[in-house]
Amino acid sequence: MSRLLVSVLLLLALMPTAHAEEMKLTVKPLLCITDNRNPVCEVRFLVVWETEERGYYCLFNDYGETPLRCWNEEQKGQAADDRAVQETFSFWMTGADTEARLAEVSVEVLHMDSDDRRRTRRTRHVWTIN
Amino acid sequence: MCKRLTTLVLLVALATPGVAAEAPANESNWRLGAAVGYGGRTNPLVQSDDIPIILELDIAWFGERWFFDNGDLGLTFADNNALTASFVARINSDRVFFGRTNTRFIDIGLDGAQLPAAVSFKPPDRDYAVELGLEMLTGGNWGALQLSAFHDVSGTHEGYEVYADYRFGWRDQRLYLEPSFGVSYKSANLNNYYWGITSEETGFVAPAYEAKAGLNWHARFKVGYQLDRRWALSLVAEYERLNDEAAASPIVDEDSVLGWFAGVSYRFGR
Repeated sequence: MSRLLVSVLLLLALMPTAHAEEMKLTVKPLLCITDNRNPVCEVRFLVVWETEERGYYCLFNDYGETPLRCWNEEQKGQAADDRAVQETFSFWMTGADTEARLAEVSVEVLHMDSDDRRRTRRTRHVWTIN
Repeated sequence: MCKRLTTLVLLVALATPGVAAEAPANESNWRLGAAVGYGGRTNPLVQSDDIPIILELDIAWFGERWFFDNGDLGLTFADNNALTASFVARINSDRVFFGRTNTRFIDIGLDGAQLPAAVSFKPPDRDYAVELGLEMLTGGNWGALQLSAFHDVSGTHEGYEVYADYRFGWRDQRLYLEPSFGVSYKSANLNNYYWGITSEETGFVAPAYEAKAGLNWHARFKVGYQLDRRWALSLVAEYERLNDEAAASPIVDEDSVLGWFAGVSYRFGR
């Protein structure tokens, strides 16, 4: 009996929390591209979340310790975040416990140009046309 | 002309501070990629097949001074805000067309008359040439300019080529458009080695031909669409007009080379 109890407890411990499973978080766009001419990505990010349980939820990102926005007794919500970014960063949702992340989405910032001009030189071989 | 240009390039490059190229801390020395799709290059030679491009590999390594870029080996001796100058060793690109020629039996002679018996004819073969030269790269918000001058060091054609290419890249997030155009001056020795016909090679079908120096020009348009950090869609079209001396050769059927490629590319380690 005690073995069964331990097994059940272990299984429960290994399972993700209900919140983490239920929270759906989407961010658009997920990729932001910069180059030497436009080194900063100025974009309005649209963040949409939805969960099965009504409750108190907050949206955070890497750019601040305080939440971007919180919702009380809500099951879903959305927020727009105007931001100028140069580095990959994340948005995440928390419940009342703001230390526990219920869902997290990373926005990639990809810098396409290199400071090394040699990486942009054209070679003229038959196998490279790109 | 080649010596004067070389001297000029050296003077400009050496007059600038010799700061070696340095990659940012997070940039790998390697650039490895592959593209799969459908494309090709037309072959201007008579009795020849076009060159298919199904898989493209991008293998390059950039160190502080040395670099390897898809077969080109370079040593950078000047790098500053204005320009990057390197010595580069490469294999001449004109040879590629001669690897895809066919033998055919011809029964019409040079004078248009019927030959007593069909004779076999194949465009003459040409060797690869190892070339050494100088390359200058500069750029800014106005675009990018690549200037180079190469001379044969393998005793193959004993000629030289001076090349210039300008391109302007325009990006709107994932979409990238890049038109480019340029010219390539080929010396008489280079032009004649690849596109001329020697008296030993002449026969019933092809007369002897001597090609003089000439100027090729090219235009290119590239469209890219970044799918994510590593994957991208790529569409390229390229037109190169052969110089009149090469185009008039009896072994040349078309006066231009058209290249194209459409596919998906993957960049490793980005």
